[in-house]
Amino acid sequence: MGGILETFGLKLGPFLSQVIIILIVYAVLKKYAFGPVTKMLEARRERIAEGEENLTKIKSDLEQAEQKVQAMLDEANKDAERLISEARESAGAIGEKEKQKAISEAQKIMQNAEEAAKLEHERLLGELKRDFGRLVIDTTSKVTGKVLDDKDQKRINEETAGQVAL
Amino acid sequence: MDFNLSADLLSNFQTGAILAAGGHIAPEPLPGLGWFTNSLFVAVFVMLLVLWFTRMATKKMATVPGKKQNLVEFVVEFVYGQVEGIVGKHVAPRVFPLLATIFIFVLVSNWFGLIPGVGTIGFGGDKADMAAPLLIKKDAAEFTGLLRPATADLNFTLALALVFMVVWAWVTVREIGVWGFLVHTFGPKGGLQGVIKYLLIPIFLFVGVIEIISIAFRPVSLSFRLFGNVFAGESLLAAMSGIGKTLGIEAGWLQFILSVVAPLPFYFLEILVGLLQAIVFTLLCAVYVQLSTTHEEEH
Repeated sequence: MGGILETFGLKLGPFLSQVIIILIVYAVLKKYAFGPVTKMLEARRERIAEGEENLTKIKSDLEQAEQKVQAMLDEANKDAERLISEARESAGAIGEKEKQKAISEAQKIMQNAEEAAKLEHERLLGELKRDFGRLVIDTTSKVTGKVLDDKDQKRINEETAGQVAL
Repeated sequence: MDFNLSADLLSNFQTGAILAAGGHIAPEPLPGLGWFTNSLFVAVFVMLLVLWFTRMATKKMATVPGKKQNLVEFVVEFVYGQVEGIVGKHVAPRVFPLLATIFIFVLVSNWFGLIPGVGTIGFGGDKADMAAPLLIKKDAAEFTGLLRPATADLNFTLALALVFMVVWAWVTVREIGVWGFLVHTFGPKGGLQGVIKYLLIPIFLFVGVIEIISIAFRPVSLSFRLFGNVFAGESLLAAMSGIGKTLGIEAGWLQFILSVVAPLPFYFLEILVGLLQAIVFTLLCAVYVQLSTTHEEEH
């Protein structure tokens, strides 16, 4: 046994020194390296987990927001359609009203025009009759060589007007 | 030149291997420093290096890590993941600091041994012959290396293993208690009931004794495995460095080229071995903890 120890150089001094060195490294690394590093790794792991959780929450919020936006858009579309429909209906009614008004005005204008035309016609007809009567009187007086008095002129006028039925 | 692998040549290789890592299996005291050995010197240096680096890396911890912090975080996360996978979430925080210390210390020590100059810079020996590494010279017995990998010293590997065993015992007692440990080791397993349980008690007692012997030998197996691998690696590199001389090549320049080129592939191998041994030591420790802290119902 002693021979083996000597061959491999096992001695109490170097052995205990090595034990002390190992214990020093162990103690220092445990306090200044493994402790902070494992804490940092744990903190990072938690942070990543937290990030993942936040990401999931953000995704969920985003989905909810998208759904909300979609709902709002749907509602806005519905409102817009309703408004357009109402506007169409309103425009139709106004159009119809205006059309009726225009028709009525047109009819009124036409009626006035007809009346004006009738009056004008009658006036012209009267003038024509008078001119025709005068012409007959002139012609009669020239043909007969007789000066026609008022009575004759009136009679001829009435007869002419009666015969000329325009 | 005779390139036949003769018995003489083999003998030279074996001599090279034996004389590697300072020329002796045992670490050597540095001249004028009593029992303060070259491996102890390197252990102190590695300790300071590890502490300085981790302090620098963790002095100003930031959520967005810098390069040093990132490296330390990577190592811690890797080791924690491995340990937790073996011993479970409950026990992992208790054993992780020691297992991570073991991993980092062993890894840095192993890789430190690959730095050129470790094992070849030292005191004594034949200064006239510079072509071959100092380690494999004929008068290497007179040579004392200044630097020897800490893990190539049984004092260090045994210290690691014994410190671990103390922590193992503490964790085991804390988890299942002394009585629990005795029941766990000597008691009937497999949920046996009735007469068969009592009939098998002697067998389980015998198995328990074997288990205790196995536990007692754990520090030995752990320490010798690590020591043997690292020492063998050092010997291999030393042998490859001196292969020119071993093969009987007399041209100094050719010996020099061979001493540089021949060990190169083995350096890459040793980088891998260094990492592997650190992982093996750490994970075996984790497995030992798991074996003794697992409750019966979890079997």
